[in-house]
Amino acid sequence: MNEALRCEGLTKRYGEVLALDHLDLEVPAGSIFGFLGRNGAGKTTTMRLLVGLAHPTAGRAWVAGIETTDGDSTARDKFGYLPEAPAFYGWMTPREYLDYVGRLFGLPDAERRRRIEEVLTLVDLKEAARRRIGGFSGGMRQRLGIAQALLHRPPVLLLDEPTSALDPAGRHEILELLAGLRGEVTVFFSSHILADVERICDTVAIIHQGRLLLVEAREALLQRYALNTALLEFDPAGGPIPEKLLEGLRAFPWVEGVTADLQGVRVVVRDVDTAKRALLPYVVGQGALLSRYEWVRPTLEEIFLQVSA
Amino acid sequence: MILAYTLAILLMFGLPVMAAVVLRRRAAAPWFLFLVGAATFAGSQAVHLPLNAGLTRLGWLPRETFDPAFPLWRTALLLGVTAALCEESARALGYALLRRWRSLEHGLLLGLGHGGCEALLTGVLTAATLSSLAALRGVDLQALALSPAQLVALSAQLQVFEQSPLAAALPLLERILALALHLVFSALVWRAFVDRKVVFYLAAAAYHMAANALLVMMAGYTDSLAWTYGALVAGLLPGLFWLVRLWRRERSPVARPVAPWKVEAAAFLAATRKELLQQWRTRRVLIVLAVFVLFGLFSPLLAYFTPQLLRSIAGAEMFAELIPTPTAVDAIGQYLKNLSQFGFILAILLGMGAVAGERERGTAALVLSKPLPRWAFILSKFTAQTVVYAGGFLVASLGAYFYTVVLFGALDFGLFMAINALLFLWLMVFVAVALLGSVLGMSTGAAAGIGFGGAAALLLAGSLPRVGPLLPGGLFSWAGQLGALGETPVPSNAGAVAAAVALILLCVLGSLAAFEQQEL
Repeated sequence: MNEALRCEGLTKRYGEVLALDHLDLEVPAGSIFGFLGRNGAGKTTTMRLLVGLAHPTAGRAWVAGIETTDGDSTARDKFGYLPEAPAFYGWMTPREYLDYVGRLFGLPDAERRRRIEEVLTLVDLKEAARRRIGGFSGGMRQRLGIAQALLHRPPVLLLDEPTSALDPAGRHEILELLAGLRGEVTVFFSSHILADVERICDTVAIIHQGRLLLVEAREALLQRYALNTALLEFDPAGGPIPEKLLEGLRAFPWVEGVTADLQGVRVVVRDVDTAKRALLPYVVGQGALLSRYEWVRPTLEEIFLQVSA
Repeated sequence: MILAYTLAILLMFGLPVMAAVVLRRRAAAPWFLFLVGAATFAGSQAVHLPLNAGLTRLGWLPRETFDPAFPLWRTALLLGVTAALCEESARALGYALLRRWRSLEHGLLLGLGHGGCEALLTGVLTAATLSSLAALRGVDLQALALSPAQLVALSAQLQVFEQSPLAAALPLLERILALALHLVFSALVWRAFVDRKVVFYLAAAAYHMAANALLVMMAGYTDSLAWTYGALVAGLLPGLFWLVRLWRRERSPVARPVAPWKVEAAAFLAATRKELLQQWRTRRVLIVLAVFVLFGLFSPLLAYFTPQLLRSIAGAEMFAELIPTPTAVDAIGQYLKNLSQFGFILAILLGMGAVAGERERGTAALVLSKPLPRWAFILSKFTAQTVVYAGGFLVASLGAYFYTVVLFGALDFGLFMAINALLFLWLMVFVAVALLGSVLGMSTGAAAGIGFGGAAALLLAGSLPRVGPLLPGGLFSWAGQLGALGETPVPSNAGAVAAAVALILLCVLGSLAAFEQQEL
């Protein structure tokens, strides 16, 4: 068995709402797997089903080869879980909470104490280790959440939006930490911050309205959509980008989407050959002062928006 | 003898639960099924008892089982038919409603719940009967207005106190055999649903009827317990043989993987440690201790100084004359009243958020994604609360005893501790009810409502005739009678003690069953 995580026809229905629709998914062992989806797409439902906190309407799921959807508690040793908004006992200190978690995992006293110090250092909470969690900021709670998920050295990490409450520096540290686990630990994480996924994930899945739209290696995905985006940058001397130019671009049948910011315009196209012949003459014909014209690959965000549109 | 019967009754309560624990470790069968089994028994009796009463009024059944005017075979048969129809139909209704659970293990868990509920009732009735008999020890039976037959029966029953303590094993043995029979009946009804053949339901009903009728006949023909039990075992053997064969053929081929006992027990201890720490850190221990110590010390003081206080208030001196000189009885009365009122409020208020609060905040979801079984999560909360209230009672009782002795003179220490033990058990029933409310309520507010509602219903049910004395109110009355420090011996109410233990067990099992089904 080479997959760390597997779902077969995993379905969850809340009354009339189909939150997850026959999810079939395999996550290779040792990979960092990004699970993307808009709000309400079914990411958190999938996580809760995987860790056994919710009961599936149909289907089954396995973590590290052990089924988690039949109430089997033996799988819980095999994963570390961080929910979207981790909640702790406010009266405890981080060290006490980690000690409690370590006891639940049956870590021997000496190892537990050593490991607590290690993870506290890892998530930069050592100095706050004697403070009550009740007074922690959202970012500190998130870091403690990651610490408790890592404490027992699980082979699989299930992280639901692990960087959402962190500032840029914190995000950078945590992403570095997760990237450092590549090959040793399987990381399955959902995020709405696509730049994070693009930065560290080697495989990406996109879920929309409870249905899995695609699963692909990040590089292959970016390659598949490669060079279908033209980057146009304009000389500031020419003034703001005319709205008429953008509307004209959007009107072409070979254009998929147009996004504009202060620096320039990104044009995602359906027909690259036609676009390469027609795009530049059109822009120049509109009298725009072009300073840069380049065919680039799209960002994951653009692919995500395109796929889930 | 009392110890032997206490142990036997506790085993009667515990054996079905222990059997369910073992079965659950083999198959993914939820506690919910055990509770449904218990409900099928309770529901069957809600029809069975009025049905028998109606048949008695119609003259089909005798008012006393062994009435010479009624042929015994007819009485036995009719009693067997009503019991079989009511219980097996209720069991079938349970299966009909539980379409998702169709394995043999599920059927057996349902049977354990059904037999377990009957065992709880039998245990309570055994305790109540022993209490009543104990009150008659040393009483001149001839002075009682009894018929010669009643006198003979009562004298025979009173022999129980002269027998070896091993005699206490007999009602336990009877329950074990009855439980085994329930498993066979349950498996037969299970086959009826799985194979879609009504003949298995009819077989269950016929078997049940035959077993019941046999017992009535044996009781009518012989006083020998050996013969009666022998007949019961003989009646059980074919069913048991069939059940063992069925088990070998139909049980789930692969046992459910479960964490070793040692691991689960370690998780329970870790959770209990955390709960006790939480009780301390969130000042709940201090609140309980403060309230208990305050009222423990305050009660004898208030009783002692009330007349003096009234004399010191201008214009109220005449009321002081109306109050008789306070005694230790007044101190104990005050103590019982204060501790029960404030203990009750604390039990509900501190218990309502135990599970509902953790679920609302999300802390439960995070710890239950670890190797912490749900049973350990629930049981650790109940254990921690038990320890805190036991501590509260210990401190309060020692303080109250000391002040009562200082202010009013000598007081039997053992008696005062017995009063406290009864009051503690009384309070633990409401702690268990609050825990159940906390699991059932989707918010802390809803949990409080369910807890208060359940507790109020129990208190109100205490005024029901016949049943009332067995409810927690019976414990409180017993404590009150002991506190009256009268010369005449106070009749015990072991039935209420057993019923309180049974209620606590049902509430905790209900909490487990409900929590196991919930999503976090």
